[in-house]
Amino acid sequence: MRYLMTTKADDQQPDAQLYADMAAFVEELTAAGVLLATGGLAPEGIRMVSAGDEITVTDGPFTEAKEVVAGFALVEVRSKDEAIELGRRFRRIVGDGESVIQQVFGPQ
Amino acid sequence: MTDVHGAVDAVWKLESARIIAGLMRLVRDVGRAEELAQDALLAALERWPAEGVPDNPGAWLTTVAKRRAVDEMRRAERQERTQRHLARELDLPAEEETGPRPDDVLRLVFISCHPVLPTEGRVALTLRVIAGLTPAEIARAFLVTEPEIGRRIAAAKQTLSEAGAAFELPTGDDLRQRLASVLEVVYLIFNEGYAATAGDDLIRPGLCLEALRLGRLLAELAPDEPEVHGLVALIEIQQSRSAARTGPGGEPVPLPEQNRGLWDQLLIRRGFSALLRARAAGGPAGPYVLQAAIAVCHAQAGSAADTDWARIAGLYEALERLLPTPVVRLNRAVAVGRAHGPRAGLDLLDGLSADPQLRDYHLLPGVRGDLLERLGRPGEARREFERAASLTGNAAERAFLRRRADRLPAASEGPALGAAVRDFLGGDGHSPATLRAYGQTLHRIRRSAGDRAPLADLTAARVAEVFATAWPDASARTWNRHRSAVRAFGAWAGRPGLADALDRRAEPPAARRTAPDLDAVLAGPEVALRERVLWRLLHESAAPVGAVLALNVEDLDLDDRRAQVPGTRRWVTWRSGTARLLPELVAGRTRGPLFLADRRPGPARTPADGDLCPDTGRRRLSYERAEYLCKRVTGGSLGQLRSSGRTTRETPSRTPTSVPAG
Repeated sequence: MRYLMTTKADDQQPDAQLYADMAAFVEELTAAGVLLATGGLAPEGIRMVSAGDEITVTDGPFTEAKEVVAGFALVEVRSKDEAIELGRRFRRIVGDGESVIQQVFGPQ
Repeated sequence: MTDVHGAVDAVWKLESARIIAGLMRLVRDVGRAEELAQDALLAALERWPAEGVPDNPGAWLTTVAKRRAVDEMRRAERQERTQRHLARELDLPAEEETGPRPDDVLRLVFISCHPVLPTEGRVALTLRVIAGLTPAEIARAFLVTEPEIGRRIAAAKQTLSEAGAAFELPTGDDLRQRLASVLEVVYLIFNEGYAATAGDDLIRPGLCLEALRLGRLLAELAPDEPEVHGLVALIEIQQSRSAARTGPGGEPVPLPEQNRGLWDQLLIRRGFSALLRARAAGGPAGPYVLQAAIAVCHAQAGSAADTDWARIAGLYEALERLLPTPVVRLNRAVAVGRAHGPRAGLDLLDGLSADPQLRDYHLLPGVRGDLLERLGRPGEARREFERAASLTGNAAERAFLRRRADRLPAASEGPALGAAVRDFLGGDGHSPATLRAYGQTLHRIRRSAGDRAPLADLTAARVAEVFATAWPDASARTWNRHRSAVRAFGAWAGRPGLADALDRRAEPPAARRTAPDLDAVLAGPEVALRERVLWRLLHESAAPVGAVLALNVEDLDLDDRRAQVPGTRRWVTWRSGTARLLPELVAGRTRGPLFLADRRPGPARTPADGDLCPDTGRRRLSYERAEYLCKRVTGGSLGQLRSSGRTTRETPSRTPTSVPAG
């Protein structure tokens, strides 16, 4: 089953050590055949709201930056526990902050 | 906070390979290493609920297991020292060195897939120590009992221990062979999941995922091996179709009919890049790379109709050279059937039907049924699908095959022309000569009207059209022979009016009956030389039977292929068929009757001198005897053989030549 982990933006500036640790983590999970895709997201998103026939498009960045997703990882795992364990490792590397793990419907 | 058991299990599955591989450096025995790791896991289950899951759970487990291993060894060492008074330092690693060396997991894979193990042992042990599955999980995946899996794993460990399987990286030729053993295990696990051979589910996704993870792991561990990347590419792309290959009822959906929108593009792209890595690794394409290339061909086609079947057929041909298994040949037949038409596919398949390995393989009749259906032979196709359904052990697939069979009409409802002709000619009751004559006529109609055209569409008018174009200048006899073939076929096929638009033509009275086919008759081994010459000569010369029997050896002009009939001015001439046979019949004789009776005459019957052979004393062959032998073998008279000759060179004569008395 697949899980998508999204991580909210935070105020910390990543240092060289964090980059190195993350690179190693990504490499390890890719090699283990677990990590299918991952990436960081630009903060200035485009907001689109539809109401009735109206679709409103607003360029970011937005004030409530804390709610903006800054990165994602798509993993293929055996169980929810495995997804949690991987999330745990990730959070240990990046320090304080918040991630959300959701199962992706589709291929089991 | 989720439950700790779940966390421990997750950690174990993610880490077991590295933990056990690290322990192998210490204990060198996969059974012992696994036990130590299991003990550490038990310790985790005791302590983690209270202490919490440690920051690096994999390292925690490894440390605990290694500590235990070292304790054991120290104990053993102390005993040994006490017993033998030896003072040897135990070479123990520093305790901080918890992780395995980079290649240790690969070494462990080579151990668990060791060729000394039976395949099922390799599979079970690999899933146990590399994928971290419990015996219960493996048993569920393979639909066997848990004790059976336990037995397989224990036996595998025992065998490895007895064989002294080294914890090493094979090199050279050994590497090829060992790697092949590893790849086989991975592909087998994948296939067991992908094409579940038993049970009610067509796919057991858990096993597919395990195989994918094992394959991806191997690709990182052995990046220079093209076949590893080939295998990964193959299973990534096969797995990409998993959502599309079963219908709502769990029935299989064949590749050409799959909804390509359901294919997982992420996995397809992973497959593409794995194949590129395989190509980059170089070397000639191996079996997995070729199979991956075939899978890529399918993945690249925007629709089933866009599939490059010619390329796929070519790849299968290359694969068959490396891996001439019946299954590969079967798949090649499928590809050829798509690339070059169902007839070509069926031809390849015909060579496979006798293969004992495929005798009970449901895909063979399944593929045959598909090709036959496309050839317009629904009756036979239906039978093949029914046979395939009865052979498969998978319930969803059986239901699917039954539906395919039921969709087709039974044979009698609408056979194609080609099939009907084949059935007609294949039936009993035709003499070889008739068969040949009928075959000639009907083959032409098949060619002209279309082999796959429904028999029901063949009208008397269409038949007349074929006759008019095929045999515009035929003699009345030939025309009538073709006509009677159509009448016989029509009567057999329940279409008695098929020859109605063909008028019967008046024949010369001398040739009322159809002549036996001389070539067919003479092909038989039992016809004696004398008869062969006589019949051939009658046929080629079209001379009267009496004149031919009256010929003497001294009258023959072998060079000019002619002879003068004694006492007449008549010449009998012949062609190459007789010319080839005559010298053997003459066999050095210089005079006397050409055709001799088998026996000498009795004392009471003394023929004229001219009718006796001076060398053997045998008399001239009588008309009655010759006629009797001819009728017995050919069913026709000597006169018919004569009239079947195409040219007559004799000078007509009203005077009957002398016919010796029998």
